[in-house]
Amino acid sequence: MAKKNIDTAPIQKILKKNKREIKLGLKVCAHCSLCAESCFLYQATKDPKYMPSYKFINSIGRLYRKNGKLSRGEMTKIRDIVWHDCVLCSRCYCPFGINIPSLIALARQACRTQDLYREYDKEPTEG
Amino acid sequence: MTFQDQILYIVQGPIVWIAFMIFVAGIIGQTFRLSRMIRKNQPLRISDSAKTVKNKKKERWQRWMHHIGQVKTTMIGTSPFLTTVSIIFHICLFITPIFLMGHNVLLKAAIGLSLPSFSEPVSDILTLIVLFCGLFFLLRRLLLRRVRIITTPYDILLLLVVVFPFFTGFLAHHHLLLNYKLMIMLHIISGELILIMIPFSKFFHMIFFFFGRFLIVNEYSLGLPKRNWQFQTRE
Repeated sequence: MAKKNIDTAPIQKILKKNKREIKLGLKVCAHCSLCAESCFLYQATKDPKYMPSYKFINSIGRLYRKNGKLSRGEMTKIRDIVWHDCVLCSRCYCPFGINIPSLIALARQACRTQDLYREYDKEPTEG
Repeated sequence: MTFQDQILYIVQGPIVWIAFMIFVAGIIGQTFRLSRMIRKNQPLRISDSAKTVKNKKKERWQRWMHHIGQVKTTMIGTSPFLTTVSIIFHICLFITPIFLMGHNVLLKAAIGLSLPSFSEPVSDILTLIVLFCGLFFLLRRLLLRRVRIITTPYDILLLLVVVFPFFTGFLAHHHLLLNYKLMIMLHIISGELILIMIPFSKFFHMIFFFFGRFLIVNEYSLGLPKRNWQFQTRE
């Protein structure tokens, strides 16, 4: 059974433990969108929601900025980004060397603490 | 001395040195902070082609051709226009103020040493290149959907902060728009603002770029072109 409300304590623990990495990633990202071509999902669809930078800014970046205080609906959106829009193939390439897969993995970790996983019994969302 | 002269005197003198000190101290401090975050995950592996320099001529040629073939998969290959504009922009951003005649004259007056300078028309052209590249980046931010989706007002502000000293410097030099004193004052203040902002804002990519290039193993540095992020075991 999925929890109804968001338990911020475990998310904040993850954020606190990896604060330096998340903060640096968000600070260094110049929003240049050059990472787009390194994502095969982006290459196939040309939909900017598959851009690696978009994915990490709107998942772990969002969690970090709000210090984990998000609603269930917002957390579900993050779940969709980190599980349905990313396969964590770790092929994304940032010209500055931001470890994007590691940041997305952190967001997945945060989702797991809220019982939010990939829903295997559902069709993937259409891009 | 009028009020305007007094302000000009302050921004020309002590504030310049304060800005430079914050710039240098900030960079040293941030570099130190960054270097504490480095962890050694695996030894750096130098690629075979870098190691075997003494191989046969034909083999070497084949290797070169292979590398050239790989260019299309790099960023220069996927976005050639953007990378070219970006490289030109960043080079001009650095060389224009450093080798500008006016700046070097001031440097000579202040510490007795100066760098070689470009002639005035060359500096003008370089400044215009910076301005046009800035305009290109702004339009790209506003018009391309993939960039717009991750753009925040802060990004646009930073872009304006970068081009403002070039814009005001150009106008001041040619005595356009406002009177010279006011324009040069804006130019100096905006230049000082950038210096102070570099270590503490997104401009820090000036330093972080080198960290990323040379300290992350494998394809960012001299290693084999193999993406190999090391995931840390996390609880």
